[in-house]
Amino acid sequence: MVDLIYTAVSLVVIVPLALFLGVIYSYLLRKLSARFQWRVGPMLRMYGDLKPLLGTTRLLQPLYDILKLYGKETIVPDVSRRRLFVYSPYLSLIFAVAAILFIPFPGMPLLSWVPYSLIIASYLLIGSILFTILGPIASGSPWAAIGARREVELFLVSELGFVLSIFAIAIARQSLVVWELSRGAQSVYLAFLTIVAGALMFAAVLGKLHIKPFDMPEAEAEIVAGSYTEYSGKLLGTYYLTKVFLLYGLVGLFISLFLPPIATDVLWLPLYVVAAVVFVFLLTAVQVLNPRYRIRNAINWYLKVVIPLGALSFIIALAIWLVV
Amino acid sequence: MKFEGSLDVAEYVRKEIYPDGLEYVPLRENRVIVKVPPGDLAKVAELFVKKFEARLIHATAVDLELRGFEVLHIYDFSKVKNRLVVVVKALVDKDNPEFPSIANITWQATWAEREMKELLGVNPSGMPDPRHQFLPHEWPNPVESGSIPEGYKFDGSATTKEMYLPLRMPIEEAYQTLIPIGPYHPGVIEGQIVYVKVEGEQVVAADIKTGFHHRGIMKLIERRGYNKGAFLAERVCGICSAAHGLAYITCAENLYDAEVPDRALYIRTLLAELNRMHSHLLWVGVVADVIGWKTGFMLMWGLRERVMDIIEAITGNRVNYGIWRMGGVSRDVPQELAAKAKRTVDELREECAKLLMLVADHPVVKSRLIGVGPLTKAQAYDGGAVGPVARASDWKIDVRTDNPPHAIYDPKVISWEVITDDHCDTFGRTLVRVKELLVSCGIVSQCLEYLTKTTGEIRIKPKTVPLGAEAVGLNEAPRGELAYYIRASDKDSSLPHSIRIRTPSYRNNAIIPLMLVGSNLADVPVVMGSTDQCLACTDRFEIIDERRGSRKSLTWDQLVNLSRRASRW
Repeated sequence: MVDLIYTAVSLVVIVPLALFLGVIYSYLLRKLSARFQWRVGPMLRMYGDLKPLLGTTRLLQPLYDILKLYGKETIVPDVSRRRLFVYSPYLSLIFAVAAILFIPFPGMPLLSWVPYSLIIASYLLIGSILFTILGPIASGSPWAAIGARREVELFLVSELGFVLSIFAIAIARQSLVVWELSRGAQSVYLAFLTIVAGALMFAAVLGKLHIKPFDMPEAEAEIVAGSYTEYSGKLLGTYYLTKVFLLYGLVGLFISLFLPPIATDVLWLPLYVVAAVVFVFLLTAVQVLNPRYRIRNAINWYLKVVIPLGALSFIIALAIWLVV
Repeated sequence: MKFEGSLDVAEYVRKEIYPDGLEYVPLRENRVIVKVPPGDLAKVAELFVKKFEARLIHATAVDLELRGFEVLHIYDFSKVKNRLVVVVKALVDKDNPEFPSIANITWQATWAEREMKELLGVNPSGMPDPRHQFLPHEWPNPVESGSIPEGYKFDGSATTKEMYLPLRMPIEEAYQTLIPIGPYHPGVIEGQIVYVKVEGEQVVAADIKTGFHHRGIMKLIERRGYNKGAFLAERVCGICSAAHGLAYITCAENLYDAEVPDRALYIRTLLAELNRMHSHLLWVGVVADVIGWKTGFMLMWGLRERVMDIIEAITGNRVNYGIWRMGGVSRDVPQELAAKAKRTVDELREECAKLLMLVADHPVVKSRLIGVGPLTKAQAYDGGAVGPVARASDWKIDVRTDNPPHAIYDPKVISWEVITDDHCDTFGRTLVRVKELLVSCGIVSQCLEYLTKTTGEIRIKPKTVPLGAEAVGLNEAPRGELAYYIRASDKDSSLPHSIRIRTPSYRNNAIIPLMLVGSNLADVPVVMGSTDQCLACTDRFEIIDERRGSRKSLTWDQLVNLSRRASRW
């Protein structure tokens, strides 16, 4: 009974917590890339004479940007399929929020102990991205159509890497429950698998989060805002909110699957934070060091990386299962 | 240094090049006017282009009021004889302003003739593409302006959207596959539309429409005289302002027997090359931004800021230098400043060499640039590419060697070279610009060395401009060959009768559709950016207070105070 109450409470707590952490990760992404580019970026400590105007810190700048969009006019184009266009951002957000309920946080197992939670979580993440494709297609804009088309192509290849990496882990550990995977005992073989499959998942996350060189679905200089061209106001804000949750969710999933047992006990929380910051730092490094690929180059790159790495991690996983 | 022309050049043109002209008038600096009857224009063009491989610099027309229109074709003969430029003139009647089009002979004339037609109402007969160039396509109505395909049933009920049919496509098809890039598009900073027809992500046809930014600068100069013209010419472009200033001054000085002190020539070269440096750094940054590399953009513009600082220290201004004068420059470079600037430039050169090579060697940058926007040498020649675009197609064309402006570019005095590249694509254009930047650093360094060691006059008072004089001034802007033509007034010695400007982007933009066909949609902004389009901007504003309904303009001092307050922490 106590367990049930604890779970219920933690389910309520995790949503604002995930939002906060996602915003912090986004802030880090922006601040670090600004420092890489000889810029200042959002201020951590505001200049003295601007404090009365702007507050002492702009740590929550990504959140303010989203909140600003909620105060703006929302325009729905005449030529769009209105219902799909309007509902897609919200459905995408719901899927993303649902997904994070299946990803453990230090001290909060949430729903990650339910059977097949790994499959549920990855399905929900896919669903969230699916609605970032459906909405733009319904908007009737040529830019959005091209953006959505690129998103589909990118999604297909990056999803392949994502699925291969998480199921290699699942096969090696003989479990489809995220909680069990995130608790498990380490061994030398598993450590090796973790490195290979972890690299694979990192590559997949780049595509899912549109980190350069894989930001072609919203390539601004080529196709205006790509998928999001016709979105404005609350609907655009909802998409951005989804991205914040997705960022938190993917970082959390990565840590719980590849760095066990960091995501289990509350005592691991400092290490969880360190791991998340390192992960975001790696994302930023890739972001600032690369120009954008063409969609064809991106697919080629994924096929070159995903198939060998995926095959390798599967062989290792099978070997661990059969031999060890 | 004195700039004079030799009189026997006119005789040379009559004997060796074209004997049937009505009149031969020598201008200063080996420029010759050949007057022909209007009917002969096409014949002359055929002879010049086919036999002598002359290159058309510009085609334009001048309104001579009661006497009629004077059609001008300016040809570059520098490959035949040193610095020779031939201006072919024909007087057309006002009642029947018709003359043969030369666009079928040399494609470069296409834009120029379309412009001539809509600005003056002359009628080049047999134009291959009679649509409007700068006016809206549908003006005054789509059938007359030729934007509707033949045989299309126009019942007058079509909406404004349907009246404009780019690429002469049927309406149904146009709605499905036509992607407009511009006039407001994040990848294109300038007001223009490039319509691309795509199949999937493949571009199968492209068309370009300009004319969103007419400012009437040529007319303004005509009403303000030679001295103020230098300031207006700088404002044609915010990036290559020095190039415009130098080209204008070259042209204006060619109107009379000009004499310019050596020190002024060095200062001119110094500014023109600093201008080229910051323009090329800006371009590399813009291309990095277009291919989605914000880091490259920021780094390049960071370097550019340091060039701008040098320019500001020398002239007091960042964008429009305002130091160009007929007969010299208005502001000297003190010796200490020159020495300091030289140290900075030498440091900058090393850093640029390091960073730019890093950019040019980045694997993803390479994958985005190699093979994009191909332009063979033949295409570049036929299309009339100029500047780095032509040089990247392995065509050695540079005004600084062929037809130098009134500055120091003599290879005996300053060591420099023309950079060419045989990649024939955007990557080649990048390499050419990067290497040119380093060459410019060298020239700047040599100029500063001269300025450090010597002192002297910087300006000689200009003589009165003779009535009815004519001149052509050329300069190599960062984007390519820049041409000015001035005809002095017949009545007033302080006013020009007419002035014509042909900017490099006028040429390079015309060949963008050629480079686009067959490329990937993702590469369209890269190809458009690869020609380094010149963006036009104005620098004044007005404050409108809606609540009080008041309007006020800020004076310069108020603006300076405002900016000082804003940047004070």
